[in-house]
Amino acid sequence: MPRIQIGSWANDAVNWLRDNLDWLFNLITTVLNGLYTAIHTVLAAPEPLVLAGILAVLAWWLRGLPAAVLTFLGFALIDSIQQWGPTIESLSLVLVACLITVVVAVPLGIWAARSRIVGGILRPVLDLMQTMPAMVYLIPGILFFGLGVVPGIVATIVFSMPPAVRMTELGIRQVDGELVEAAEAFGTPPRRTLFRVQLPLALPTIMAGINQVIMLALSMVVIAGMVGGGGLGASVYNAISSVNVALGAEAGLAVVILAMYLDRMTGALNQRVSPLGRRALAKAQAALGHWKFLQWRPATSVAMVGVVVLALLAGGMSYLDRNGGGAAGGGNGKPITLGYVNWDEGKATTYLWKEILEERGYKPKVQALEAGPLFAGQARGDIDVQTNAWLPVTHAEYWKKYRDQLEDLGTWYDKTSLEIAVPSYVKDVKTLDDLKGKSAEFGGKITGIEPGAGEMKILKDKVLPEYGLTGQYRVQESSTASMLSELDRAVHRKKPIAVTLWSPHWAYDKYPLTKLKDPKGAFGSGDGLHMLGRKGFRKDMPEVARWMENFHLDEKQLTSLENDITSAGEGHEQDGVRTWLKKNPGLVEKIAPSAHATYAKGQDAGKAPNIGYPAWDEGIATAYLWKNVLEKRGYHPNLRNLDVGPMWTGLSAGQIDVETDGWLPVAQKQYWDRYKDDLTDVGAWYDKTSLEIAVPSYVKDVKTMDDLRTHKDEFKGKIIGIEPGTGEMQRLKSTVLPAYGLSDFQVTSAGTSAMLAELDRAYHNHEPIAVVLWSPHWAYSKYHLTKLADPKGTWGANNQIKTLGNKSFPKKFPEFAGWLKNWKMTPDELGSLEQDIQDAGKGNEDKGVEKWIGDHPGIVDKMAPVK
Amino acid sequence: MSFQLFTGEDEPNSSRTTTCRPIGQAPQGWQVVSRATREVYVSRLQAERLYKVFGRRPEDAVRRLQAGAGRDELRSEGTTAAVIDASIEVDEGQIFVVMGLSGSGKSTLLRMLNGLLEPTSGAVRFDGQDLTSLSAKELRAVRSHKISMVFQHFALFPHRSVLENAAYGLEVQGVARAERERRATEALELAGLKGWEKSWPDELSGGMQQRVGLARALATDADLLLMDESFSALDPLIRRDMQDQLLELQKTLKKTIVFITHDLNEAMRLGDRIAVMRDGRIVQTGSAEDILVRPANDYVASFIQDVDRSRVLTAGAVMTEVGAVLGMTAPDGTTLSTAAEFRAAAPATVGTGTPLADLFTACSAGGVPVAVTDEHGELAGAVTAERLLAVLGESGGPKPAAGVPAQPGPADASAPAAGNGGTVTTGA
Repeated sequence: MPRIQIGSWANDAVNWLRDNLDWLFNLITTVLNGLYTAIHTVLAAPEPLVLAGILAVLAWWLRGLPAAVLTFLGFALIDSIQQWGPTIESLSLVLVACLITVVVAVPLGIWAARSRIVGGILRPVLDLMQTMPAMVYLIPGILFFGLGVVPGIVATIVFSMPPAVRMTELGIRQVDGELVEAAEAFGTPPRRTLFRVQLPLALPTIMAGINQVIMLALSMVVIAGMVGGGGLGASVYNAISSVNVALGAEAGLAVVILAMYLDRMTGALNQRVSPLGRRALAKAQAALGHWKFLQWRPATSVAMVGVVVLALLAGGMSYLDRNGGGAAGGGNGKPITLGYVNWDEGKATTYLWKEILEERGYKPKVQALEAGPLFAGQARGDIDVQTNAWLPVTHAEYWKKYRDQLEDLGTWYDKTSLEIAVPSYVKDVKTLDDLKGKSAEFGGKITGIEPGAGEMKILKDKVLPEYGLTGQYRVQESSTASMLSELDRAVHRKKPIAVTLWSPHWAYDKYPLTKLKDPKGAFGSGDGLHMLGRKGFRKDMPEVARWMENFHLDEKQLTSLENDITSAGEGHEQDGVRTWLKKNPGLVEKIAPSAHATYAKGQDAGKAPNIGYPAWDEGIATAYLWKNVLEKRGYHPNLRNLDVGPMWTGLSAGQIDVETDGWLPVAQKQYWDRYKDDLTDVGAWYDKTSLEIAVPSYVKDVKTMDDLRTHKDEFKGKIIGIEPGTGEMQRLKSTVLPAYGLSDFQVTSAGTSAMLAELDRAYHNHEPIAVVLWSPHWAYSKYHLTKLADPKGTWGANNQIKTLGNKSFPKKFPEFAGWLKNWKMTPDELGSLEQDIQDAGKGNEDKGVEKWIGDHPGIVDKMAPVK
Repeated sequence: MSFQLFTGEDEPNSSRTTTCRPIGQAPQGWQVVSRATREVYVSRLQAERLYKVFGRRPEDAVRRLQAGAGRDELRSEGTTAAVIDASIEVDEGQIFVVMGLSGSGKSTLLRMLNGLLEPTSGAVRFDGQDLTSLSAKELRAVRSHKISMVFQHFALFPHRSVLENAAYGLEVQGVARAERERRATEALELAGLKGWEKSWPDELSGGMQQRVGLARALATDADLLLMDESFSALDPLIRRDMQDQLLELQKTLKKTIVFITHDLNEAMRLGDRIAVMRDGRIVQTGSAEDILVRPANDYVASFIQDVDRSRVLTAGAVMTEVGAVLGMTAPDGTTLSTAAEFRAAAPATVGTGTPLADLFTACSAGGVPVAVTDEHGELAGAVTAERLLAVLGESGGPKPAAGVPAQPGPADASAPAAGNGGTVTTGA
């Protein structure tokens, strides 16, 4: 058989399209991006629960009360497992894709139904669209549309179009021919026949098609996460690529909830939009007995009113938010929102910073909030910085919940303590033990603060039981303000009173108080006062972040500041700050040095290189390291986590400027060969890599490849491989296995994630397993594995890990390229960097890198020298 | 003009018998037109030499058919000749029935009359306007204002209420809502569906649904009503009711109706004139009696075999000249030498429209034939017992009676040729 070069024709076609239809793809990209942004902006604007409410009203309208309740619960759950953002992104993606699909597919279906020729041509095209594996056109999609949501949307449209076309065609063909004839016999024009007879009657079928479209779109959106489509797909992709079962479960659950909602709603939509559906619904409702109210659905107008009211509420809220959160001011000042829990030290620092930032030309706004809303709001990005997070104890719960959306800017005060205080005229009460038996004296109560405060919880759950005070004292919930006024009243009248208090607090300045000692340490170790930035704050406002990271106050400064503010009176806080600053000359310069001293900017500062990395440890580590270093040099790098294939594609297309994790010459040879014309080999930074087969070390006597042969049965004749296209797999099959007589081993090729999952499973069950692995890899630190020795050297030359750039990279970023060229890492450096990043936890890679840079003084200048 | 074909027990209607048209006297229109120039039109609806061929290159097929090719010959090449050389004429206020078995082309013929199907060849004239020459838009206007249609399976729009269905034609015409609802309500009332306006089609029985279909057709005030096996899907009793109602309505509305059916009894009952179709051709056109008494060929004859002839044929159709009975002897011995003597001796005197079934008693009473009078009470003829038995005993073979105009039609290769060769058709 002669080889028919279909593959290379496709390749040529893709290249030709890319070269010649660039304008078209750009247009499509712009349109789709615009649509997506518009829809996403609208959906992401309201508070999650308000949007959940709107969706619930829709569910009520479409399906009745139980569906509405379930909808609300479902979306509230999504919010609670912190998949709201990705879910909304996915929903927007699905909506955009479906919108376009329906707009294209329904007319196509109609056309196909009316013209046999069109129907005949469309059929094989639809088959192709539906069955061609999505990844096959996702990769060219990147070539055409770049990374991000657009190729995902396009792939989704391609994938979900066929059922809509088919069902529309079917629906129209299914309309009784006699009815169409009847319409014609009465002289109905064709267009009117279509819109008044055929479409209404075909609508149930068309709606079934649209339902299919939405479900297919949702499943495709998940796949699109692999090409940077974002949303739940990205979460799922992240989860599987790091074998993160927790994240996977949550993201998966969110997909399911979204899918069920969309499915049920579009399924029921038919009953509202098609006349036949409305008839069926009315009949079904008439037949209902008792549980009618469950099935009762608000009329369209009522539901409309509900949605509009909620939407207005949402609009109003975000309007208020914006008002409170500070719209962009004039001048060249960047707006910055400071939030604080309305405690005195929070107020003090917040207004101090407001003053400082104003002097530095920023436009700060301050906002006092309860701890809960403050953390939640900041997690959503409404608040840039909060100044008085009590960590690790008092605000532990919030921190645990929102830490992923926050950046800890460090402690500015660490001598805090929580305590019960009594006026010092109450003699012989010096410790918490002394309170025992004196409940009559204190009226049997301890005056507390806000019920939600961490101190109250600790007091009730730990302190009182610890000192045997439960039952003797009631903890009076109130608010900080009423506690203080109560204290003031009692001190005035020289009455005994026990209040929950904390240090630092101006009350200690103002009244003679005794902090009751806590010999049992029931209140826990003292909290530090942290500045927390919203996610991305460091990146957006590096200067302020740096000031805040270096910010410190001692007790004397803080209490005196608090006192000055309190004296200035409510509404005049800033005057108090100014008074205080006058007493502390030079402090502003110290807190916020106006010169950007720390790191000199690079020549190309301000440029924004796109750095890609695969979700492999060394890739993550080096990408974040360079991001950090570049930011210090004034660059604005973007990081992008991608699968290997898409990354090489993106790299060759210039979507990605550079990546630091190219395994050459062996492992990723085929990508290199494929794309090398469009790439630049910037240099190798690591050469202690190896490819190998690894087995758990509990498998005794298997130390070399030869041992594998003799223990074939133990491994069931199987080697768990990775992606079939990788160089390592090819090398394994073509060279390694034959050399050791292992060719009768079966090599699975389900991908890296599957391999790691399989390894994890086997490791847990203590089963023998042989996996295709490489060094460096975190699996070696997580599991005890033996790298099988390769005495014959069949794996060939060791790979180097290279930095690869798009062809244009050295020209676009000459300085950065120069730095990369001379950059090397030792195994120790890489190991410690990976370790620090691992320790910092997912989402805190920057912190890990920061720490590592701190541990390696001079590393920035070494990596990125500037004159 | 209409025949009383059945003396339905439920509908005693003596007036109809008086409007009977004597057999042998062709309706005014078609005699005139067959001689007239084309400019003069008399009939309301004319179809001239219609052909409809489905398949590739239909025009060629028509040429070949005209040259004498057979239907089967074409079919073997993949083209189907549904209607071949069909010509009909329908007068104002007439119910014209096209009858034939399924596949005979009658529905195709009907759809060419309102342009739902474009004839491959031939012309359709309605009120002198050639429908085949109209643009699609003009044709739609004609359909919407002048021609309505009633369908076999009702073809009601399930997503519209009964009222909206009835108003559909008016809606297409662009009549304002209030006006069209008023007229649709009237039409529904005519069809006997008062009070059902708000219902939905699927809540009605088959008969009621077809009444909606009828109301929809009547609401537009179209003069021409095409009914495509409209009552075939109904059960027999309902069908009978609907037929009665149609006849009743027709008395006042005087629409021009083309009615398609495969049911011979229905055809006989409704049709002022009947065309019998077979294999795409019209094999005979005539009144019910023409077809019963003088079937054009074996096919028609076999078709009418099971019809109760005594209820379809009338005294006028079988009577003999008065002269033939003069000179015969009455049972009492007197010789009947004059018409008056005969009339006095006749056991009964009946109108020309009386069905034969009503003559049996009289004929068996004595040897004197029954006297038949015309609408003016003048003696028109006589029916002897022998004649009566002979007519009812006729096998249905083609026996054109004397005095009946029977014109030979074009050669018909596919129809089984009768003994006397050629098919009898009437018309153009």
